[in-house]
Amino acid sequence: MSGRSPRFMILSIDGVPFGLMRRMLDEGVMPNLAKLEQGSRMRQMRSVQPTVSCVAWSCYMTGMNPAKHGIYGFIDRRDGGYDLAFPNSRMMAVDNIWQVLSKAGKKVFGMNVPGTYPPREVNGILIGGFLSPTVDKVAYPASESRYLQSIDYQIDSDAQLARQDKKAMLGNLDKTLQKRMEAMFHYLEQDWDFFHTHIMGSDRINHFLLSKVEENDSFFAPAFFDYYRKVDEYVGKLMDLIGDETPIMIFSDHGFCPIKYEVQLSRYLVETGWTVPAEQMQHPLSINPAKSKAYCLIPGRVYVNLKGREPGGVVPLEEYQQVREALKADLLKLRDPVTNEPVIERVLVREEIYWPSGSKSAAGMSPQDVAQAKGVFGKAADLIAVPHDGYDLKLGLGAQQTFVKTELEGMHTYHDAFMIARDVELPQDNLEIMMLTRPILKRLGVEPPADMDGEGDAVTPWE
Amino acid sequence: MDKLDELESQSIYIIREAYYHYKKLAVLWSIGKDSTTLVWLVRKAFFGKVPFPALHIDTSFKFPEMYKFRDEYSKKWGMDLKITMNKAALDAGMTCEKKLDCCNALKTNALKMAIAEHGFEALLLGIRRDEHGIRAKERYFSPRDESFQWNYQDQPPELWDQYKSQAEEKTHIRVHPLLGWTEVDIWRYLKREQVPITDLYFSKQGKRYRSIGCTTCCNPIESNARNIDEVIEELETTNTSERAGRAQDKEDTYTMQKLRALGYM
Repeated sequence: MSGRSPRFMILSIDGVPFGLMRRMLDEGVMPNLAKLEQGSRMRQMRSVQPTVSCVAWSCYMTGMNPAKHGIYGFIDRRDGGYDLAFPNSRMMAVDNIWQVLSKAGKKVFGMNVPGTYPPREVNGILIGGFLSPTVDKVAYPASESRYLQSIDYQIDSDAQLARQDKKAMLGNLDKTLQKRMEAMFHYLEQDWDFFHTHIMGSDRINHFLLSKVEENDSFFAPAFFDYYRKVDEYVGKLMDLIGDETPIMIFSDHGFCPIKYEVQLSRYLVETGWTVPAEQMQHPLSINPAKSKAYCLIPGRVYVNLKGREPGGVVPLEEYQQVREALKADLLKLRDPVTNEPVIERVLVREEIYWPSGSKSAAGMSPQDVAQAKGVFGKAADLIAVPHDGYDLKLGLGAQQTFVKTELEGMHTYHDAFMIARDVELPQDNLEIMMLTRPILKRLGVEPPADMDGEGDAVTPWE
Repeated sequence: MDKLDELESQSIYIIREAYYHYKKLAVLWSIGKDSTTLVWLVRKAFFGKVPFPALHIDTSFKFPEMYKFRDEYSKKWGMDLKITMNKAALDAGMTCEKKLDCCNALKTNALKMAIAEHGFEALLLGIRRDEHGIRAKERYFSPRDESFQWNYQDQPPELWDQYKSQAEEKTHIRVHPLLGWTEVDIWRYLKREQVPITDLYFSKQGKRYRSIGCTTCCNPIESNARNIDEVIEELETTNTSERAGRAQDKEDTYTMQKLRALGYM
């Protein structure tokens, strides 16, 4: 294998849960990764709340909580109205790890990490993640697109295809993986300080096949493990190339579990009287603001329709805390229609898991100050509903039912991302994805930005 | 010389420079406020005449007011209007259900067809730097290769306003005389010059279009600005993006489709 080892290597495999990885290491599905794990025991790692890839990766690439970097989910409310906005790297308020390293003179490479589109200017190459619309726009510098086009590089597998035909999805996932790895080994021929390639197909295969694996489906269960075998073969080639000395991290950003129900939380807020839809519903946020005291964004991000803050706010500031408590109580009342088990495990308030730039915690802030916070922190949800595993929170403002089942079989979980690291000094306890930036910078001898979280008090509290 | 005079004279200089260099030149006219300002400037540059064709890429989905305006003023201003439509794609049933594909077929491919048919070497376009982040890197004279690729890292330097108007073969040049204008400059100029404009931009029942294109992809914004003065006043106080009302913002459309397929919506 030609090519040379970067000074720091990361291969991230999106959404592989610790438990599944343990099983695959133990049962011989991923022998090459198992070999790496012999010297550096796999650990469990916490993700982010709410547990979505773009937030998890934004926390990874900044080492900061969302109230500093500004990415709270895949959708936001557009400024000035009740319409949807789609955050991307333009909305990220701080430098990402490739920029921080670039400014320290390091040569960097990143490929397909969620939340990196449009790619920012770096000292090296940055290729955007799965929300990049076309290959000609995916890369910084733009000239790299020509190489990527020449190999028929795939930005992402086709999720629409997965909904229609799961067998066809498998072929599509293989092609996407093969092209990604071809590009990775191509770029590894150059000299890099920091090299990060991401595999997204694992998240897709888990979303669409996880229940089939649990049921031990005779076709899809073996096909599922075959995908991971292929990933492992590439891990083997990579390990041959980089040798035994290079610091490396192989990890996922969150776990996964089978879905019991997709839960249309906006519909539940309509049922409980908090949200009133607009007469003509055009999109998932078409609410009647004059009659709505609250609304939600995916997943489980509930906003108080606060007067003076929201464009058509109706809840006066003095009622903010009371409304939050009443909303919390209602959310916790939501029950599984069959088993009557609670759906929501806990409801967090914004100051519990977010803290603004220049601080390490928002715990001491009064509810009024929290409600009126400006800037990036002020865009946080007022309440974050955290579901029990198995209940995937969606929007569904106009949905016919609150509890539905679709082609999706798996959902993200918070506690159980995995981490295998060699020759990197990670925090000993309670590892979370936001803690990774510091040790990487340290290993490369680069000073972390002053406001970086991920140590001391600036970690996400969780028992 | 005030700012508008300066912008006007710079734009006219660029238009005349383009006319000098390219025998096969056209002005792209979408009927919106920017390209109508551009046509107005062309007329001023050549004493009331548009001495080269005006090209309208017709998706067939434009607002009826736009077609009416186009037909009325192309006649009034004596323009050589070329209309190109991707009929094959329309006959094959292309609609905006798949917005990226639709824009690609009915705009990009239609433009390619027009360039091939008429052999245009250069096109005047009414884009402005402040419209969209990606346009910040545009040049006044911007080469495009055969497949319309724009490599913003490999552009001729334009230092001290020395425009690079020569290009290699097999490219066409896009000329952007309005690059340095802002949205509010355009409105102040429209007012000063009394340039006619479609009334889609003015408020009716509390809503107006801030940016116009296809009916299928434009959403009006909440606004009470019923005339140019009120639009200018509104723009001086707003901080939302001009294209916020355009679902055609292709990245958002792509993102929405992708997130929907992944079950996020």
